Amino acid sequence: MASELITLKTTGLKTDEMIINMGPQHPATHGVLRLLLTLDGEFVKHVEPVIGHLHRAQEWQGQNRTWFQYQALIDRVDYLSGMFTSWAMARSAEHIEDIKVPLRAEYYRVMVSEMNRITSHLLWLGTYLIDLGAMFGFPFYPFREREKLLDLFEAIAGQRMMFNYIRIGGVQHEAPDGWFAKLKQFTEDFPDRVDEYEAIVTENPIFLKRTKGVGRLKKSVAMDYGVTGPSLRASGVNYDLRKFKPYSVYDRLQFEVPVMEGDGDTWARYMCRIAEMRQSNEIIKQCMAQIPGGTADELREKRKACNSCGKEDCANCGGDLKLSGKKQMAGMRIKAGEGFAAVESPRGVLGCYIISNGSDKPARFRWRNPSFSNLSVLPELLVGSPIADIMAVFGSIDVILPDVDR
Amino acid sequence: MSTEQAKPEETPNLTPGVFGQFLAEHDIPSTRLADSTGVETIEVTAANLEKALKRLRNSAETRMDFLVTVSGVESPENIESVYHLWSYEHTRELVIKVRVPKSTLGEDQLALMPTTASYWSAANWHERECYDLMGIRYVGHPYMRRILNPWDWEGYPLRHDYKQPLDALNDKNPVSFR
Repeated sequence: MASELITLKTTGLKTDEMIINMGPQHPATHGVLRLLLTLDGEFVKHVEPVIGHLHRAQEWQGQNRTWFQYQALIDRVDYLSGMFTSWAMARSAEHIEDIKVPLRAEYYRVMVSEMNRITSHLLWLGTYLIDLGAMFGFPFYPFREREKLLDLFEAIAGQRMMFNYIRIGGVQHEAPDGWFAKLKQFTEDFPDRVDEYEAIVTENPIFLKRTKGVGRLKKSVAMDYGVTGPSLRASGVNYDLRKFKPYSVYDRLQFEVPVMEGDGDTWARYMCRIAEMRQSNEIIKQCMAQIPGGTADELREKRKACNSCGKEDCANCGGDLKLSGKKQMAGMRIKAGEGFAAVESPRGVLGCYIISNGSDKPARFRWRNPSFSNLSVLPELLVGSPIADIMAVFGSIDVILPDVDR
Repeated sequence: MSTEQAKPEETPNLTPGVFGQFLAEHDIPSTRLADSTGVETIEVTAANLEKALKRLRNSAETRMDFLVTVSGVESPENIESVYHLWSYEHTRELVIKVRVPKSTLGEDQLALMPTTASYWSAANWHERECYDLMGIRYVGHPYMRRILNPWDWEGYPLRHDYKQPLDALNDKNPVSFR
């Protein structure tokens, strides 16, 4: 595309540049993003993303609320993957205080997080196809499966999107009766559903024309900008925290991280996310088989013998089968120290840097959001491309604006 | 029990860690600080930051080529810029802190740090955010403007001495945000 710009210049044909605003209220930005575009005819010469329209001072709020209060707000940082934001903060606080998370809670965390990864990718898939102009009702296919998972979230956490489920030290609730059975049913059906999406989308000639070779992100550029997540792996860098620095129980699970070959174009990023959904499904299956104490129904049956005593030395209630390693209460404190912990969210490395002074509020709370770094690479992808590709490229890096603006 | 507790004493004379030794070999002085939950933490002076980061990023021994985040931190005595360095090739981690004592800053004077955005694109937006919220001016940054707040915002909201504009919360005021 850049070469065509040069031809225009060398042939002496002059066009005026035009500066236009895309956004802040644009239907395809899934939030509020303003792109200040400098256009040369049909082609983009310069892009400046203007962010901050959704700034809610999350860091300030974290520093001015107690640990317990802020836990409930964290899901709003990235509303599509609340489990991961809670988990990043919980891991960071656990690092500082050296809290041991019970094994059953770790399995719950992995399970709900992988479910959350699937819901996030499903929503991306549906809306991305709308961004590309596929208004024929395709989005209802992924939303159908997403709805099933949201029902399961509602059953276990009480909320469909703002879960507040993963807490410092563990998780909040045991799953209700029948939850595991429903999840098992879902994991069995899901691969067929992904096949359905792929049958409609992957080899679709219009989709291929809109995405193949569009928005190439070079490996070196991606690494320079700190791009992470599927957008990085689509560019051929094998970097996934779940494999690279295994946290929680990921070292006990068998899974492969999908990595695409060559310069990642928009289509590679799509393929990467599709493959990740399948992997997440496998991870959930393994978790359900491995979780200590078995399903919630079985465990409840066993606990009838000890009348759910909750004692530490009880075979059915204590040890690995607890749900939290730290007592949840309004005035809880984390000992002084500082720590940075990160998790692999659907969008990349989601980190949380906390400095605690031992009081009931953190002294400094800092988010490292994957969308923030991923969005900063957008000008590199867009310069030289036609205006029609802007939304195809922007949608493919899966940016969540509240995650960018905090 | 008071809510304010003393910060843990930073033990002086810590022996240099792997990265501290590496930097010392290349004549870049650094001070080791208390570990940040098991991760080596060093302090370098503002003048040495760029040299240190370049060395750590490009050497075959270290390859710290992933700048995870740049954070602005205000401690009681200092304004700090904290760099979390990871690598795409190995799992070692490093935290680098650059400190400017508040006592050296005059009234309304911003802490000055050298920028890393000129050769590490990841730092560009992170440094703008530190400038916006913490009031650290990165010298040589290509576009040192506010990023999250409006361009004409006054003050640096995460500073301890920040005064919230009271009018912003008054919904009777025609120029308030509500």
